[in-house]
Amino acid sequence: MQTRMEHSELTENEKMEAFLARIDRGEKIEADDWMPADYRNQLIKLISMHGISEIMGALPEKEWVPKAPTLRRKLAIMAKVQDEMGHGQLLLRVAEDLMAPLGKTREDLMQDLFTGRLKFHNVFHMEAPTWADAGVIGWLVDGAAIITQTMSLDTSYAPYARALHRICAEEKFHAQHGESIVLELAEGTEAQRQMLQESITRWWPSLLMFFGPPENGTITSNQSANMRYKIRSQTNEELRQAFLTKYVPRIFHLGFTLPDETIHFDEASGQWIYQQPDWEAFKLIVKGQGPRSAHRLNLRETSYEDTKWVRDAIMSFGRQAG
Amino acid sequence: MGTEAKKDFDIYEVFSQKNVTSSFVHQFSLLAPNKEVALTMARENFLRREPCFNLWVVKRDDIYGLSPEERPFLERLDNKSYRETKGYGDLQARWRKHKERYEEQQQKAKSGS
Amino acid sequence: MADRVLIETAEQAKQNQEYAQALADLLFQLADDDFILAYRGSEWLGLAPHIEEDVAFSSMSQDMMGHAVMFYEMLESLGLGKADDIAQLREAKDFRNAILVERKNGAGEYNDNPHYDWAYAIVRSYVYGLYKQVRLEALQQSTYVPLAQVSRKMMTEHRYHLMHWQVWLNQLANSTKDARQRLEAAIAKVWQDAGELSDLGPSKEQIVRFGLIAGEEILRQKWLAKTREIFQSAGLNWPGEPGTASERGRAGEHTADLEQAVATLSEVYRIDPAASW
Repeated sequence: MQTRMEHSELTENEKMEAFLARIDRGEKIEADDWMPADYRNQLIKLISMHGISEIMGALPEKEWVPKAPTLRRKLAIMAKVQDEMGHGQLLLRVAEDLMAPLGKTREDLMQDLFTGRLKFHNVFHMEAPTWADAGVIGWLVDGAAIITQTMSLDTSYAPYARALHRICAEEKFHAQHGESIVLELAEGTEAQRQMLQESITRWWPSLLMFFGPPENGTITSNQSANMRYKIRSQTNEELRQAFLTKYVPRIFHLGFTLPDETIHFDEASGQWIYQQPDWEAFKLIVKGQGPRSAHRLNLRETSYEDTKWVRDAIMSFGRQAG
Repeated sequence: MGTEAKKDFDIYEVFSQKNVTSSFVHQFSLLAPNKEVALTMARENFLRREPCFNLWVVKRDDIYGLSPEERPFLERLDNKSYRETKGYGDLQARWRKHKERYEEQQQKAKSGS
Repeated sequence: MADRVLIETAEQAKQNQEYAQALADLLFQLADDDFILAYRGSEWLGLAPHIEEDVAFSSMSQDMMGHAVMFYEMLESLGLGKADDIAQLREAKDFRNAILVERKNGAGEYNDNPHYDWAYAIVRSYVYGLYKQVRLEALQQSTYVPLAQVSRKMMTEHRYHLMHWQVWLNQLANSTKDARQRLEAAIAKVWQDAGELSDLGPSKEQIVRFGLIAGEEILRQKWLAKTREIFQSAGLNWPGEPGTASERGRAGEHTADLEQAVATLSEVYRIDPAASW
């Protein structure tokens, strides 16, 4: 977009003060507003990871797209995975506009993904070996995502908020899509129920990890910066607790178990008490050492390289001499 | 137009119209190499569930707008009731008064005859 | 034509066994063509050249599969079993799709080192799409009224797809030398199979006699004329008469590619077809 050039007479300090005052008043920041480099960098980090996770997140479910068991499920899961790609598109567009002043583009994001500089969500490094996993991803992984994204709806960065509003509207369909698969299996044959139980057991540690390590009283500088800038408003643990409150009872209502016999809600503290997942393993997974990390990255990278000629071609269309 | 290929795709803003009487509304932006490709991808990226009657794509570079410093100047004083219906809130009461007075007169004339 | 009596419902169609058989034979071709090509499209999901295009492309696969479902449901109403069973429990030899739509998207499997060919995807979708347009137009005159009705409905979505393919064909044809070569190679590959599209299968005589659809030659000429015009406007050489594969898909002869597709698309359903999924 073009605008008239404006020359601000404020010093950097005054700009920073004005910016923080806007945040405190609950105002939203637009892409072309002045913002501190730190705010921009926090946003780029958060939103590019969120966006690329949607793109990578399409892959585990995509494994089940051609195999979905009925015509209706085939259509529904195609639409669902398509939405995930669409969410990636929305978020990457937001990240790309933030990176533009730094001279970076989507191409750089893709390269960062391939070199491991840009990480994606732990859950999408995991295996999805049965049809029940397609259901559990829709129900619980998307359920976890809804909790995180809903919290971010009132983020101070307006373009992110607009993207999230679109995303949350569709996530409701995703959760229902997942619930529908899960209920069909839960109400089905013994073999179907067993398939689902195994999937819940398999995904449980990853679901706990989804929200990131607990703060244990101290929050990281990243988190506190994000909260100061009102990019996010709740801690990892608060989000995880909200997830447990919503989903643990439902898992029990269906007659399934969790691989954590001691999990319970402690009335006194108003908190769920649960066994911590292996946070050391978590670090390795997001570094790209999960069971399916290499496979999925390879899938993404080969398809990107194989189709480079297409992007080159359409970019030069209409620009040939003569 | 040069003969050289571009390095990156352009940003296109997508606008859509829900039905024939609704206005065009901005949806979102997408990356595309040219307007033809942008248009073929627009509906599926932003309107997979909503009705869509018509579509526009506009290259972002071709949009001219206000800078962040200028945008606050759009704010107005709240002293323009003469432009709005709420500035004419007394009319109904006045019409009612005229109607009542007239009906009273008619009543008197009837009982007087 | 003497036999041109309109049939309004499935019940009515079933009263004439010969008519019902010819109708089912045609419906299998229509359903299987869309279903298998939509399946190939679904394998592309997440692997397209550009994120925005990935999203757009998937809608077309969904629409196409949606059309297949409508045809399978018509078979169901003729008493040939549940739509899901028809789609997923038949053997490859029972499918009546043309060979063109069953070919793999390229080397590898969708989840195992795929090296898919976007030029082939574009040319195959477009060439098939142009034939489908001619076929849908002809079906609007079908003596089987429900078929004429759904064909009319599908036409809107289908025209939108054709618009999409046209942009792609035109841009790839008029961009880089590399793209042009890949496109020409894809056309040659598609052309080896494309001749079968207008084949109405072993019961073509009854299909045409009952007025279910126009004859092969009419369909073929219209389709080739339209395709020729499109190629010309994109500046592409006309590849001549299209060939046919050594297998005849319309008669239930298929390649190993279809066996792989059927095994994959029915893998979960076949775990227990009696269960609810």
